[in-house]
Amino acid sequence: MIDPITIILITLGGVLIGVGVHFIPVGGAPAAMAQATGVGTGTVQLAAGAGLTGLISAGFMYNNLATSGAFTTSDFMLVMASGAVGAMIMITVTMFIGQLIYVYGVGVPPVSAKVKKDPITGDVQDIYVSKGTEGHGVPTVSFVSGTIGGLLGGVGGSMIYVQLMEIVGDPTNSGAVALAGIFATGVFYVNSVLASYNIGGTIEGFHDPKFKRVPKAIISCLIASLLCAIIAVPIMGGVI
Amino acid sequence: MSTAAGGHAGGVLNPNQVITLGAVGGLAGIYLTMLNQAMDTTIFSFLGGIGAILAAVWGADAVRRVCSYGLGTGVPSIGMMALGMGIVASMFGLSLPEVEPGIPVVAGPIIAFGVAAIIGLIIGIMSNKILKMNIPIMEKSMVEIAGSGALVMIGLSAAIAGSYDFGAIMPAVVETGFIALVFIGGAMTILHPFNACLGPDEKQDRTLMVGIEKGALIMAIAGFASLAVDSMDVISGALTVIVSLVIWIVAFRKFMRYVHRDAHLVTGTGLLPTEEELE
Repeated sequence: MIDPITIILITLGGVLIGVGVHFIPVGGAPAAMAQATGVGTGTVQLAAGAGLTGLISAGFMYNNLATSGAFTTSDFMLVMASGAVGAMIMITVTMFIGQLIYVYGVGVPPVSAKVKKDPITGDVQDIYVSKGTEGHGVPTVSFVSGTIGGLLGGVGGSMIYVQLMEIVGDPTNSGAVALAGIFATGVFYVNSVLASYNIGGTIEGFHDPKFKRVPKAIISCLIASLLCAIIAVPIMGGVI
Repeated sequence: MSTAAGGHAGGVLNPNQVITLGAVGGLAGIYLTMLNQAMDTTIFSFLGGIGAILAAVWGADAVRRVCSYGLGTGVPSIGMMALGMGIVASMFGLSLPEVEPGIPVVAGPIIAFGVAAIIGLIIGIMSNKILKMNIPIMEKSMVEIAGSGALVMIGLSAAIAGSYDFGAIMPAVVETGFIALVFIGGAMTILHPFNACLGPDEKQDRTLMVGIEKGALIMAIAGFASLAVDSMDVISGALTVIVSLVIWIVAFRKFMRYVHRDAHLVTGTGLLPTEEELE
């Protein structure tokens, strides 16, 4: 009755979201005052903003492909790619506009305090860090890292959404669409908050020492998503 | 980022009193909407909203207790997680009677509440054991937060749909998209009170009054939403809005009184001086 592949893929989606959060440069309140590297808001807001945009673009693509005939594996890939691109656009736009404000508004150079040299460009970092701060702005490595985070989050969110929709198998059922959407959102929040507890609120990207904590997040997101996935299947069954 | 720790977790009401108020009051409000079916009307839908307010007060108190330890991620995260867990659990609980005909519809909210508590417990245990957050009351608080999240969610849905039956909530709340409103609005009622009042001078009664006031506002929005639902008549929706606005006015006045009580001094500074007056 319950398809194990569906449950595995929903769980995998949740884990991808949890890992994706670790890539996003979250500065929290200190970054809002340009005293830490990253975008000046919380993990949940950033991850959810990107993830929900990813869900919308994935939903749009799913609706297009699924209503025009059988839904194949390559269609599945396309929907996930669409979700990933949507989330990546959202997070890069957020980082870019934040960057403009940091550079031209606050007047600080984008710099990381966690590494001496930017691992991607090789630019010297430490001499540009203002005294008493932990870096500021979004340096290249954080920007690239954030884009990867958007990709993982978008793929994870759309994977959950598509799997839930495939249980019902009727893309024209508006109840199923709404339920799958809100359920994917719920799983998204649970995983992104768990991941943000793991990083303790702020992280600069994959070069940050805190990134080494990822395995713990993978285990917790795996358990939480598995629990949600087992619950999800009867919910979607109830719609039919 | 980090919450200003230092808020003392004590208060006028002890945790058990708030838990009883929230859990019993919330479930009672939800179950009292059954009067609608018993009397073949929709006029009692507002009781679901009142249940949601009581559950939100409980959630706000739980957030207040756990966040005074300092989570490092800000208060909003835990409120969004509450409704994330709550929505998963409540949709499961409410839909189960639909899927398994042997389970009565009446059991829906209780199942949702129980499942939310289980999810909360597992996430609380993981936060302490795997993520090493080391907050002694994390497990208990997560159970409370998830449970109140599920009750807020069901209460508001019942206020919009007039019933907690999945067959009524599906077309009225889920298909119309009001579920997104319930999700974010419900999370606000749980996360906002402590987020707004935190600090060394935080007082329980003042924080919880913000919870009542926020709950009343989202209940009013639920009342407006129910006007757009076919199965609800205009009078029931209007009644929900009126009741919630009365609650809001009372709670807001009380909140202002608490603010004046806790403030060192409240004084009117007048408007900023104009350029001529400065010369």
